[in-house]
Amino acid sequence: MKQITYLIAGIVVTVIFFILSCSDGFNIYEQMYFNQGYNDKMFNLDMYPVIAAITILIAWGGAAIYYYAINSVKFDRWYHWLAVMAVVIVLAPVACYVYNDTVFANNGLAYVGESIQFEMQTVLFAAVLYIVASFSMRWWSSNCRHTPLPQ
Amino acid sequence: MRLFLFAIGGTGSRVLKSLLMLSAAGVRPLDENGKPVKDLEIVPVIIDPHKANEDLKRTEALLNDYRDIRRRLYGNDPNAEGFFANRIVTLREIMSNTSVTLGDTFIFNLGAVENAKFREFIGYDTMNEANQALTSLLFANYQLENKMNIGFVGSPNIGSVALNEVKDSNEVKAFSNVFRQGDRIFFISSIFGGTGAAGFPIMVKNIRQAANLEGIENRDALSRAPIGGLTVLPYFTLEGNKHDQRIATSDFIVKTQSALYYYKNTLTGANDSNVNSIYYLGDQVRSKPYLYDPGEHGQRNNAHLIELIGALAPLDFAGVPDSKLTDQDGYPLPTTAYEYALAKDELSINFLSLGRRTRQLIYEPMSKFHLLFLFLTTGFKNIIGQGFTEDSPKIKSDFLVSQFYRTLVDQFMLGYAQWLTEMNDNMRSVALFKPGEVDMAHAIEGVGVKKRLLGHYKVDNDVLKAEMNKLSKNNPKYSDHSVEYKLLDLFNQAAHNVFVERYENIN
Repeated sequence: MKQITYLIAGIVVTVIFFILSCSDGFNIYEQMYFNQGYNDKMFNLDMYPVIAAITILIAWGGAAIYYYAINSVKFDRWYHWLAVMAVVIVLAPVACYVYNDTVFANNGLAYVGESIQFEMQTVLFAAVLYIVASFSMRWWSSNCRHTPLPQ
Repeated sequence: MRLFLFAIGGTGSRVLKSLLMLSAAGVRPLDENGKPVKDLEIVPVIIDPHKANEDLKRTEALLNDYRDIRRRLYGNDPNAEGFFANRIVTLREIMSNTSVTLGDTFIFNLGAVENAKFREFIGYDTMNEANQALTSLLFANYQLENKMNIGFVGSPNIGSVALNEVKDSNEVKAFSNVFRQGDRIFFISSIFGGTGAAGFPIMVKNIRQAANLEGIENRDALSRAPIGGLTVLPYFTLEGNKHDQRIATSDFIVKTQSALYYYKNTLTGANDSNVNSIYYLGDQVRSKPYLYDPGEHGQRNNAHLIELIGALAPLDFAGVPDSKLTDQDGYPLPTTAYEYALAKDELSINFLSLGRRTRQLIYEPMSKFHLLFLFLTTGFKNIIGQGFTEDSPKIKSDFLVSQFYRTLVDQFMLGYAQWLTEMNDNMRSVALFKPGEVDMAHAIEGVGVKKRLLGHYKVDNDVLKAEMNKLSKNNPKYSDHSVEYKLLDLFNQAAHNVFVERYENIN
C-alpha cells in the first residue's frame, strides 16, 4: 500500500510539473527564468511541453534504468544512485538544449546565451524529478530498493 | 521420537563432532519415504572418563555452540528445515521435575570412576591374597596403577569393570525417566580401544536387563527399546613409542577380533536381538599416524573420513521404520548388520567418491553450508546496510557483535574449518572442498559450475546476495522471526536456488 501511494504521488507530482510547464498563466519555467523575447518564442513555438517531456523522460528513464536495468548488488550504494543522477542532470539539459537549438535554427533564430541560462532550470527540474521517480519506483527493485535511503 | 545417542570414548566424541557438522549443514534423517523424520530430538550423551581428552572437549564446546545457535534460530521446534535443523538437547533439558539431580551438560558424569586408580576402584588392597593373585592375572600392573581420569588406555578389561558402575548413575536414572515407547537408542564406539569396546556391550546389557535395575523407570520400554550401534573398526595408526606400549597399533586387530567374537556371542549373533542394527565401519587404509598419547596430554586426533561416514549411521538408524526394528508385539527383532563402501576406492575423497545414496543425503546440504561459511567469513560484513539486510527485521551492524554471530562465526565456523582441514590432511584425505579456496565457483572439489552462453556461471557473494535480495523482497515470512532466522533461512533458500541453477548436478 505504501509503495502504491509513493508511486501515485510521484506520478501526480510529475503530471503537475508537466501541466505547470505548459500553462499560459503560471508557467513554472517562466517563473524561474524570464526573458521576454526568448520566452515568448518558446511559448509560441510550443517548446515548453516538449522540454518538460524530455526532462521527465530522462529523469524517469534514468531512475528506471538504475532500479530495473542496472539493478545490481554491485551498484546498490547511494553513490551509485548519485552517479546516475549526475548523468541525468547532464543529459537532460543537453538534450533540451539540442532540441531548443534545432527548433530555433529551423525558424531562423539564434538564442545561444539565453538557452544556456534557460537549461540551468532543467538541471534543477531533472534532479527533482529523478528523486521523485526514484522514490516512486524503487520499491519493486530486487537489489536497489533500499538505495539511496533504506525503506 | 527421541534418539538417545551414547558416544563412548574418543571415537564416540569424534563421530559426534562429524554428526554435528552434518546437522549444522541441515542433513536430517529420512524415513522410508525420503521425508525427514518428524519430531526428532537427538540426545547425545558422551561417556568418557578422560575429561581432559581434547577430542571430547572440542566436541562438547561445539555441542554447546550448536545448541545455542539452534535455540536462537528455531526455539524448541523439532521440525525445522535448513541449517542446524536437527534438535540436539541434553538429558537435563528434556527432564521433567524429578528427584534426580543432573547438570545441563552432554557429558556423563563418571565421578566415581574418574577419581581413582583402577586398583583403588576395585579395592585391590582389601582383597585377600588369592583374589589379588587372580586379579594380577587378569590385569597388568600398569592397568592396576592406571588413574582412570585419563581413560582406560586401550584396556577394555578395565573399562568393562569400571563402566559397569554407570547403571547406578543419575544419568541412567534420568535417561530411564524420560525414555518413552517409540524412542530409540544408539551407541557410537570403537572396538579396538578401551572405553568404547567395553562400554557398548555393558550399556546394552544394562538396558536390556532394565527390569533388574533398581531406581529406574520405564523398564519395559527400555528393555524393548530399538537399539543401534556404530562399531568402528581400526582406522588409525599411532606413532611408535619405545618406552610405553600401553596402546600399540599392532594390537588393534587382535583386540578387534576378540571383541567381535564377544559381540557375536552377546550382542549381534544371528538370533540375538540385543542390538537391532549394527553398523560396522573401518578402513584398511590407515590414517596418518597420530601422536602417541595414552591420555596424559589430552589426546587430540585429527578428524577422519571414517568419523564422517560413521556419523551417517545414527541418522540412518533414526530413519529405519519401526517394522524393521520390532515385531508386532513390540519386541526387538534380531540384529541387522550394515557395512559401508565407497563408490570409488581412492585416497583422496570428494563427493564423487561417495555412493549415490550418501551423495543425495549430504552433497547439497554440505555444499550450502560451505557456501554459508565462505559468505559469512568473506563478504557478509560489507553488505550490512544494503539489500535484504534492510528489509524487516533489519540486520544492523550491531548484529556482528551479537552473541549469536560470534558463536556461529568465531566459534562454530572455526571448528568447522578445523574439521575440514583435519580431514583433508588425513589419510584418506577428505577433500570435499578445496582448502583455502574462497572462489565459490571452484570451492567444491570435483564439481564445477555449469556452462552458459558465454563462459561459465559465476558463484560469489554478489550472486548469493542478489538471490537473497530477491527472496526477501516483500516477504512477510520474516516479520515474526528473529534476524538470525532470517539470515540463515534466506541464505539456505538462496544457496539452494544458486546450487540447482549453477552447479553441475552430480546426484
